[in-house]
Amino acid sequence: MGSRRQHLFVLLFVLALVAVSAVIIASKETKLGLELQGGLQLVYEGQPTGTNTEVSGEDIEDSINIIEKRINSLGVSEAEVARLGEKNITVGLPGVTDANRAAEQVGTTAQLYFFDWEPNLIGQERTIGGHPGQQAPPAAVKKLEREWKAAGRNPESFENGSLIASGAFPNAYSAALLAAEQEPDEDCENCSSGKTQYYLFEKDAPHKLLAGPEQSKEDLYESPTGETLPKDGLVIEVPPGTILVSELPTEESGKLDETAQPGWFALKDNPSLSGSEITEPKQEYTQGSGEPNVSFKFTDNGRDNFQQVTREIALRGAASAIGPVGAEEAAALSGHFAVILDNEVQSRPIINFQENPDGIDGRQGAQISGGFNGEHGLQTAQELATTLQIGALPINLHLISETQVSATLGSQALHDGIKAGIIGLALVVLFLLLYYRILGVIAVIGLVAYGTIFFALIKLIPITLTLPGIAGLVLTIGVAADANIVIFERIKEEVRAGRGMSSAIAAGYKRGISTIVDANVVTILTAFILFVLATAGVKGFAFTLGVGTITSLLTAVVFTQALLGTMSNSKVLRSPSALGAGGEGRKWHFDFMGASRWFFTLSGVILLIGAVALSTKDLNFGIDFKSGTRITAALEKPASEDGVRETLEEVGVDNAEIQQVTVPHFGSNVFQIESTELQPGEVHDTEAALNKKYGVDKEGFESTSVGPTFGKQVAESAVKALIFSLLVILVYVALRFEPKFAVPVLIALFHDILITGGVYALTGKEVSSGTVAAFLTILGYSLYDTIIVFDRIRENVPRMPRAAFSQIVNRSMSEVLTRSLATSFTTLLAVLSLLIFGSSTLQDFAFAMLIGIASGTYSSIFIASPVLTAWKEREPGFIRRRQRIAEVEGGLVPAYADDVQVAKLADDNETEAEIAADIEAEAPAYEAVPPKAIEAPEPEGAPEAASAPEVQEKAPKAPARAARTTDNGDSANPESVERRKRNEERREKRAQRRKGRRR
Amino acid sequence: MAFLVFVTMGIALWHFTVFLPDRFWQGIVGAFLGAVIGALAFGTVILLIDGQSVGNTTIGTALSAIPGVALGLGVIWLLGRREPHFD
Repeated sequence: MGSRRQHLFVLLFVLALVAVSAVIIASKETKLGLELQGGLQLVYEGQPTGTNTEVSGEDIEDSINIIEKRINSLGVSEAEVARLGEKNITVGLPGVTDANRAAEQVGTTAQLYFFDWEPNLIGQERTIGGHPGQQAPPAAVKKLEREWKAAGRNPESFENGSLIASGAFPNAYSAALLAAEQEPDEDCENCSSGKTQYYLFEKDAPHKLLAGPEQSKEDLYESPTGETLPKDGLVIEVPPGTILVSELPTEESGKLDETAQPGWFALKDNPSLSGSEITEPKQEYTQGSGEPNVSFKFTDNGRDNFQQVTREIALRGAASAIGPVGAEEAAALSGHFAVILDNEVQSRPIINFQENPDGIDGRQGAQISGGFNGEHGLQTAQELATTLQIGALPINLHLISETQVSATLGSQALHDGIKAGIIGLALVVLFLLLYYRILGVIAVIGLVAYGTIFFALIKLIPITLTLPGIAGLVLTIGVAADANIVIFERIKEEVRAGRGMSSAIAAGYKRGISTIVDANVVTILTAFILFVLATAGVKGFAFTLGVGTITSLLTAVVFTQALLGTMSNSKVLRSPSALGAGGEGRKWHFDFMGASRWFFTLSGVILLIGAVALSTKDLNFGIDFKSGTRITAALEKPASEDGVRETLEEVGVDNAEIQQVTVPHFGSNVFQIESTELQPGEVHDTEAALNKKYGVDKEGFESTSVGPTFGKQVAESAVKALIFSLLVILVYVALRFEPKFAVPVLIALFHDILITGGVYALTGKEVSSGTVAAFLTILGYSLYDTIIVFDRIRENVPRMPRAAFSQIVNRSMSEVLTRSLATSFTTLLAVLSLLIFGSSTLQDFAFAMLIGIASGTYSSIFIASPVLTAWKEREPGFIRRRQRIAEVEGGLVPAYADDVQVAKLADDNETEAEIAADIEAEAPAYEAVPPKAIEAPEPEGAPEAASAPEVQEKAPKAPARAARTTDNGDSANPESVERRKRNEERREKRAQRRKGRRR
Repeated sequence: MAFLVFVTMGIALWHFTVFLPDRFWQGIVGAFLGAVIGALAFGTVILLIDGQSVGNTTIGTALSAIPGVALGLGVIWLLGRREPHFD
């Protein structure tokens, strides 16, 4: 296939892709993330249960399935449940605002057990409540009442009285003390919890329960609610075979008192049935009372067990009756059958031996009733039925992070993000058009194709569009434009060197592609590492960036090449000025390596300031890292910061940072509250308190809550991502270039990281997981510049076989500086629009990217290259070269290899012809250069044709080769001997002059 | 945080080694290693003697890295003396 046909084929293919993409864009919905459409994001950590001592991957997967079913039962559409890391589960609930209810529904373990109540009571409680219908020993009751009084609870009240009559303790501490005295049952096969359980209590009376049950003492202090737990608290070990359960009292009306404190029991851990033995749980109504209940049936095994246990209870009741008894007395003598869900007694019905002398036939099923008569009784019964239907979670789930976003604020953030993206794109387009003219038009067409295909991919995969994702998208605009800039600069070089248009385009793409691939591979690898290691919010950013970078390779390289290739013979591309390649172009003739020590000094000073800032001001880590809660609340009644603080203090939130802010749509009566005390699951109380006093606009309420466990995980994953990114970059550069090239890259990256750290310490800007992610990606992206420079150095080394390494680097830098600056400038344009027009999250990303790009560009030029030079110049080959040049140049090595000639012109006012003759005399020095490039006419579009710098380098050398071959050696030519002598004299003169100057 | 401060000080001071003759073992890269390792090692020793927490940094934390950098660079310089050098 001819190249023109090939180009046409690619063009048609990409155009067809664009057309298909347009159809997809028009027909498919964009999947918006929670922060853009509003909703609730919960992150749970999987923890072992009593029977399941380790959290396996299978447990997490099973839990995800169960949570999905629970969410479906809530009627929430497009919810997202996904595994996060090893033991975490993230749950996204669009449109849900009642965080507490949702968290309860989703994360309840729902371990259900049925107990034969009285025989499993132990100690004092067995003495009092273990013998239904019989008078409890007054001394025991008196003692228990005293305990209730000592615990600050009134033993006279009806609710507490009924609990005392059952033998309940007033607090968990007393029950735990009793439980701790029990003999451990290590081989407890039937237990609900087969391990020792630890509880932490306050040191001082009444010994409030602080944490537990946990499987180890250490876990007690890692509170999932983030409270700082006292190290001097009392730890009680409950041995296997015994459990603690709580029970809420009932009011006189028989209704459950949901607001009262519970009573506590220590029980032998010997359940008769478990939740796995029930089927078809559903919410129904109790005949007569009309109260909601949860009815269910049993499995075959469960049916037998149920019949057996109720029969035992009935027989025990019947045995305690002396002679025939009335219905009331029979009820009083009957034993209880307790339904316990997650260590809380749900109901404790009696098994009336008169009504069920042979127990209850399990075929009819059973029901849980009595606990659903409160305000939310029906809802609770329905939820319990659903939970039982779906089944228990195989592990405990602890809420470690909770984010609530209002739909209005979400849509505002989306609007800001789109605006920033469009402005960024417009700026990039404007720059491309102004600077590259016709090539700019090609690049813009490429960008449009890129945008269309990429957006279609976002819809098709689908990629959930999040705020960090938008940041990634805007960054990829810069990446796509950069690829074009690298190639266009190369084409311009080739055009200026006198190549034909087709040939210049072919050479530009051929030589530019390796640089682009190198740079993009590093970006993709960094994005991949972030995607694997980062937290949920950052994953969107990494995924968008990765997919965008791959797409940009198609549009910015393949598509634009086809476009230019097709147009190469057209009139518009005939004039170099149409490409922005008119004239000589910008020529840098700066001694980069010579000046590097001053740039090193500048960096050293900046880093010293950074070190002082880091040591004295510290980094301002966000709640992602240090845990806590941030709330944005739009209030209806006018409020002040002090007023809000007082309200918060009333609900126990002290030391909160409160700031009045102005938010579009909600005006200036909006408050940002940040507290390290407020933890996931505790936001509801704060919202309720604010709502009561000032009225909270539901649409203007947002919160992010991160527990310490999650904060620790975020910090760990950031460090891991950093280390892996550095390693991957190191290995890739070492493989693609040579190992010595990797070390300066690493040093430059350290330089960038520390400068950014210093800037963040100095400015006091918050460091969140997002900013770390943005910065890590920028590390990968900022290598673009380093790779551009190193790529050219690699290319120039064989072309300059007698030059010092510093000269090669200077030459390479001067050739690529324009494109390095242009790529950085393009990306900066996109990032600046995010910084100015984006929402606060986008601004955080943009600030990190801005520092990263600026520091990355600087370090590529002034740190990485000089370090490479200093290191390479220690190699024997380059030492010899320097010595040779210094010998010739009177002890100095000129900044540029060409300076030998420049100096000659300047010093001796020689004519160009004389210089040519001089060069002829030095011909053996350039033996390595083949003469063909000049001698043969350049074929149009020849793929192996010499590049622009190659042509420059070879130009003066070719005649030398020609002279040598025709003259059969310099020594045979008297003119050459004379010339050489003259040259020697000239060099000596120059060397003396320089020595004189130095003195 | 203290370790971050030590590394920053080490790298900051390393930048000024460009004004010294290149006689370090492995040149500028060897000097880099010397400065960073010296800063980290000496800073940590001071930290341990002082009994301060790693997270609690002061200006003293930054200054305590300086002798370490000097020592590290000195060791690398001494090692470099054995290498042939060409000025």
